Amino acid sequence: MRLSLDKVEPELAKLWEEEARRTRATRVELLTLVALVSEPHLYDRAREVVERVARVHPLRTVLATWIESEHAGITADVALHRVSPDGPACGDAIAVEAAGDARDWLPENTDRLALPDLPLCVWWVGDLPDYDRLFDRMARIADVVIVNSEEMDLRDLEKLSTVSARVRHTCAMTDMAWSRLRPLQEMVARFFDDAAGRECMRALERVTIEFSPRAGDKEVASTQAGLLFGWMANALGIRAEGVQWKRGPTWGEATLGRVVARFEHHPRPDVPPGSIVRVALEFDGARFDIERQDDPRVFRWSRETPGAPVPPQTLGVDIAEEAGLLIRCLERPRRDYLFENSLQLASKIVRPIAPRLSSLPRPM
Amino acid sequence: MTTDNPFRLGLETERIPDPCVFVIFGASGDLTRRKLIPALYNLAASRLLPPGLSIVGFALTDTSEEQFRKSMREAVGSFSRRKPIDEAVWGDFVSRLHYVTGRFEDPSSYARLRDKLEQLDKTNGTRGNRIYYLAIPPSVFRTVNDRLAEAGMVAEDGGRYVRVIIEKPFGHDFASAEALNADLHRVLAERQIFRIDHYLGKETVQNIVALRFGNAIFEPLWNRNHIDHVQITAAEDIGVEGRGKFYEEAGASRDIVQNHLLQLLMVTAMEPPVAFTADEVRDEKVKVLRALKPIRGDDVKRLTVRGQYGPGNFAGQPAPGYRQEPNVSETSTVETFVAMHMEMDNWRFAGVPIYVRAGKRLGKRCTEISIHFKNVPHALLTQGASGPSADASRIEPDVLAIRIQPDEGITLRFAAKVPGPSMVLRPVTMDFRYGSTFGGSGPEAYERLILDAMLGDPTLFARADEVSAAWRFMTPILEEWEHERLKDLPVYPAGTWGPPGAFELIERDTRAWRRL
Repeated sequence: MRLSLDKVEPELAKLWEEEARRTRATRVELLTLVALVSEPHLYDRAREVVERVARVHPLRTVLATWIESEHAGITADVALHRVSPDGPACGDAIAVEAAGDARDWLPENTDRLALPDLPLCVWWVGDLPDYDRLFDRMARIADVVIVNSEEMDLRDLEKLSTVSARVRHTCAMTDMAWSRLRPLQEMVARFFDDAAGRECMRALERVTIEFSPRAGDKEVASTQAGLLFGWMANALGIRAEGVQWKRGPTWGEATLGRVVARFEHHPRPDVPPGSIVRVALEFDGARFDIERQDDPRVFRWSRETPGAPVPPQTLGVDIAEEAGLLIRCLERPRRDYLFENSLQLASKIVRPIAPRLSSLPRPM
Repeated sequence: MTTDNPFRLGLETERIPDPCVFVIFGASGDLTRRKLIPALYNLAASRLLPPGLSIVGFALTDTSEEQFRKSMREAVGSFSRRKPIDEAVWGDFVSRLHYVTGRFEDPSSYARLRDKLEQLDKTNGTRGNRIYYLAIPPSVFRTVNDRLAEAGMVAEDGGRYVRVIIEKPFGHDFASAEALNADLHRVLAERQIFRIDHYLGKETVQNIVALRFGNAIFEPLWNRNHIDHVQITAAEDIGVEGRGKFYEEAGASRDIVQNHLLQLLMVTAMEPPVAFTADEVRDEKVKVLRALKPIRGDDVKRLTVRGQYGPGNFAGQPAPGYRQEPNVSETSTVETFVAMHMEMDNWRFAGVPIYVRAGKRLGKRCTEISIHFKNVPHALLTQGASGPSADASRIEPDVLAIRIQPDEGITLRFAAKVPGPSMVLRPVTMDFRYGSTFGGSGPEAYERLILDAMLGDPTLFARADEVSAAWRFMTPILEEWEHERLKDLPVYPAGTWGPPGAFELIERDTRAWRRL
């Protein structure tokens, strides 16, 4: 039965009272997660993800979607998340449907449904629209906005960067694709943990990032590849100004001063689209390599540095599903300066090959 | 080292250790199988080990490298928190495992070990860095250290590091602890010695520091003005589980109280350190031990209670008494239970009793610290009430309980009004549980501690003066117990909460042990 929004809290209280009688479960909630489902076909997927997240993080979820209608209105459905189908409750599950123009009312009404004095995290499910004020308005009420740039186009990095810069004083922005990069960043960082590795740093000549493209993708870099290089450029102090691009059908090469960054398609059906398959760094006389093996969860890390032998390492990296990535993002619901800086740099570097629609004539 | 690495800035893992060779003395023992190798494997699976890290087992058992690797795989399969074994991780990990057969007292064994380590330096870039883990009886610590020194294997020359991790017991009384420290210091600098107490590696113990010093609301209450008393319990429901021989020498006081319980007390009672660095933290911890009022002479009888479990039950099934356990004397007078009433002579805790108890075969497995706050100064809410109403309105003091294991978490008990027309109060709890809040399993204590040793961070390890101070407090008690020459200790049935004396110890102060 769909409820008006003012009935949501009493209904939840009733459900928890029943639950307390049945299982003695304690109502523990650490944050509110609002999932804004931008396209109807993503609804079931988003629901499944938030259910899985709720089993790990006790939280209130608000799954919001919208439908076409002549009559504006928002209604809700409430239930409790459960650890298992017959297990104890572990959070509030609110499903909100906005009809017609009521979509514009979602920000203030999701705010109304948020738990008091606890972080409000907004997950934008799906691709980022080019012209949609809803995203910007949600960012204003949220403590953390979570996106998944894996599902976006390269040009969206600029939009993300702009929004991130605009809301940085009121909310943090994080990206599931960015959280997927963490193990890779750690692997790249370990190249430079010792003096021998760091000595090479100044002699970096070429970075190659191979990634698995989305089916039929014409873009020569994925958002993940762009972010990874943005992060590396940030660490190395490489500037984006004056970047020169060359490109072929499945590759692109950016020249940034003395460093050439090459992005290349390397299709792998066994990894999520956009995922990194290989990262190679070439220096004058040294070569560092991280390569995904036949088992997609396994990377081989190797470093050839003159006079400083280091045996290669095999490192396991779980391929996190969407729920796992979202959990990682929720673990630290606060500003991530490294992400913001890397995103900003990445968006500038890829801009010549991924111009925003806003820089093109606006559609009529 | 890695602080100079710009790629580490802002990453979750801000440092990984420098490559080293991790040498386990006593590699054929139980600790290696149950804890050390599984912990190292888990660190590898978490990508926290450096490239080039090598692990060398050293033991008397004459076995091949291949056989050692096979047996370690079984150990990981049985005891790792990550199941099943990740074949890719294992494939890499096993290539780092090596074995050297040798005798602890034999210099030529060390020459062979040194050759092996130097060979690994060349192939794996470990640059002479060493961690020696002494998973061996304390009786051979001295021999191993001396042989290592004679073989030139402990000097930190040429920028390399050499660290030695030792397992408790660090002596069996004050004199032997001092002797052990002196032995260690003959060949090692204090900064090279990592005395492991796995309790300090537990997330929940570290969380005591977070609770106290990461929140503004608790610390103002953390003193004699607001705290009535403190209880620390380390209860096991199991018996000695095949460790009869060890337990006959140690007893509960040496096995648990002198180390784990005093560590918990130190973290609970220490002053805020100036910085969260190894020496600042450990300086404050030692001050707690120095502030403990000595328990000597007649006070031992008054302020301590010992007991030994007799036949009883374990979770509803018959359980043998201590004297019926394997490798335990039929006339043993070793204590399996200790309770104490401690006090501290310092500004913060003067006059606040600290009741501790530890034992085997108690009612349930539970380690907990509970802070019992003073009652309200004026019984405002029971004014005018009489009879049952007054009784119902009696206010239970607030309690903050920190559960170390199992079901790790924190509970605050406070009073709330029962809904209804009269002012009836009832204790209610606010509960924080690690499991339901953060989900998943965190690293095990040995993982954290081994990684810290590799990183050269001794914050969570006991320093020499800490160990000495703990023994200085415990030794007069142990000596007094020796002088008592009891033929029999008070016996408590297995599955109960200790001998009657344990209850009298606290009840004569008109307090009671918290129900766990």
